[in-house]
Amino acid sequence: MGILAYRGVSKRFGKHSALEDVSLEVRPGEVFGLLGPNGAGKTTLIRIGLDILRPDDGEVSLFGAAPEPKTLDRTAYLPEERGVYRRAKVRELLAYLGRLKGLKRTAARTAADHWLERVGLSRVADQRVESLSKGMTQKVQIAACLMTDPELCVLDEPFSGLDPVNVALITSLIEERRRSGQTTVLSTHMMHQVEALCDRVALIHRGRLVVYGQLDEIRRRYSPNEVIVWTATDLLAFGVQATLHRAGGWRVELPPSVTPAGYLNELVRNGVLIDRYEPLVARMDEIFVSLVSGGR
Amino acid sequence: MRIQRISAVARFEFASVVKRWSYLIATFGLPVFLALLSGTVIGAQTYFLTQRAAESSEFGLVDEADVIDLGVFEEREGTRVWTANANEIVLYDTSDAASRDLESGRLRAVYVVEKDYLSSGEVRAIQSEKTPLLSMGGTTIEPLLRSLLRKSLVEGRLDHDVQERVISPAYFVRSRLGPDGEQVTGVDEALDLLVRTTIPLFLGILLLTALLSASGYLVQTVSTDKESKIVEVLLSSVTPEEILAGKLFGLGAAGLLQFAVWSSMVVFVALTASAALAAVVSIPWQALAVAPVLFILGYLFLGSLMLATAALGANAAESQKLTMGWAMLAILPLMVLVILLDEPNGILGQVMTWIPFTSPLTVIIRLAVDSSGIAWWEVIGSMAVLLVSTWVSIRIGARLFRVGFLLTGSMPSLAELWRQAR
Repeated sequence: MGILAYRGVSKRFGKHSALEDVSLEVRPGEVFGLLGPNGAGKTTLIRIGLDILRPDDGEVSLFGAAPEPKTLDRTAYLPEERGVYRRAKVRELLAYLGRLKGLKRTAARTAADHWLERVGLSRVADQRVESLSKGMTQKVQIAACLMTDPELCVLDEPFSGLDPVNVALITSLIEERRRSGQTTVLSTHMMHQVEALCDRVALIHRGRLVVYGQLDEIRRRYSPNEVIVWTATDLLAFGVQATLHRAGGWRVELPPSVTPAGYLNELVRNGVLIDRYEPLVARMDEIFVSLVSGGR
Repeated sequence: MRIQRISAVARFEFASVVKRWSYLIATFGLPVFLALLSGTVIGAQTYFLTQRAAESSEFGLVDEADVIDLGVFEEREGTRVWTANANEIVLYDTSDAASRDLESGRLRAVYVVEKDYLSSGEVRAIQSEKTPLLSMGGTTIEPLLRSLLRKSLVEGRLDHDVQERVISPAYFVRSRLGPDGEQVTGVDEALDLLVRTTIPLFLGILLLTALLSASGYLVQTVSTDKESKIVEVLLSSVTPEEILAGKLFGLGAAGLLQFAVWSSMVVFVALTASAALAAVVSIPWQALAVAPVLFILGYLFLGSLMLATAALGANAAESQKLTMGWAMLAILPLMVLVILLDEPNGILGQVMTWIPFTSPLTVIIRLAVDSSGIAWWEVIGSMAVLLVSTWVSIRIGARLFRVGFLLTGSMPSLAELWRQAR
């Protein structure tokens, strides 16, 4: 059963339909990728899931029940539009946000100090937020999000504006959450991060759910039936329809009835000495562009 | 609603406001500045009065026209002296002798009634070089000399009564024509009327100052939340009702603290200045007793509406415009104050008692001006209406607050706003 589930959710603002009949669920312990172009309805979907907005139609369940203040304490949200009190001091801000999630005053301060340490910002704990760089501010917000150890954490574009070192830091924090069985919803346009981190994904376009499922399965589904073969043998001499691939091997387009494994067997049977063999799998950015621009 | 979350929001909002320099200066700096200013003025006045008191209070009088009635003078060590209003007027036979004493510093001034006084009316006032010209204007010496001359001129020449009326032509006795006929008005009653009308006005202005000051903070905090884009983080943790209540309490406390500091200073000054006044007039204790309750209820009612409407604005300026209407409704009783003071328990006063926007100020005014004309059930009833209205305004306010908080760009239609708020 999903930790967060949408069933037939629709939402409109005036005449604009932001979401139309969206159904999906986020499972416990996974990293779920929520993808889509700008204005697709991702933020509206997240807001509805966290009871910030109410749907016009459909149902939402959070931890198996309709969202309520008590269950919201088990979640955390990093919105795309970053918000902080710029005049507040870093530790005070974190402690306040912790208190809003139900931590006691001492526990909130302890958690604030702990998470500032984790994201490498202990030295700025007593500085005002306005004195921090954009990247540092972002790390403060991520610390605020994770400081209550939420069972469900929704991160909207957590990597934007971060340098590679900090991207690696946030990536490791998300992986750590998965190892400890906690759920993360990741909304991002950085497709390589989606490929590296997500177990399952949903792609929203113009308020509709376009693709939804296991990441590997989706990539396979949208992959061309092609392989790349690295061999010293001239495949053209074997009568194979192949072209030279930019990576150095031969790119072979397989007939629909032939699988990559079957074709590998065939090559070996025919005595082709293979150095390396790789079925071509579509990248998420290719799938994203193909689905989104195809719909335009 | 969860008390702990409301308390967390309230504490944070309170601390955010009271730590601001602008707040500290407005709350504590202004009274200190005013205290320093008035202290300096009072100090300077006291210094000059002390200096003046240290100066000689003896004046010389030379009667060259021979018109002064000598009956008021008494013999003292060979000179004739008239003591009146802490002044000593020494009579000299010649102006030379008087001038010598003026030069020696014994006298502050010498007055010479000229020989042709009866035809010219001239009395020469001679001051020493050190005494500023016209400085005698503030003393009682010249009125004293005038009355002495007036008395001297008519003494024995008129009937006693006529003589007295020439000296004191009229004592005004004031009265008012009421339903029970003409009634003489004593000084106490005039003062009482003054206090009875001043205190409602004073309470009303203080209430409005507190209300508008606190609501200014409310508008500011909503704008800050919207502009800093922290709204979504807040709404993912606490309900709109909890945010609204927390902000109301936190910023209300900041507003009331400011109000308390200001009014403490005003009350202190007023009590110091009017200790004597308080003995002869009746303070409207009933109005003062219910004022805090009406302050709080009125603030919560208007504040929740202001928060909700402020959230609909895209920025601070727009939010202020949107909330202006509520402030105008609240000051309505002050706009019709003349009618309320004249007829506190008339139809206007009775109607405005039951309208939650106007009831706090109206009840205070009615109780202060004429507490016998307002029934206890009217006071309790108006509070009950205010309480229910506050509850409703918080509920509706919270829904609008949720929608308004997330609004960006142009304002949606009212119908769309209501649909989203459902």
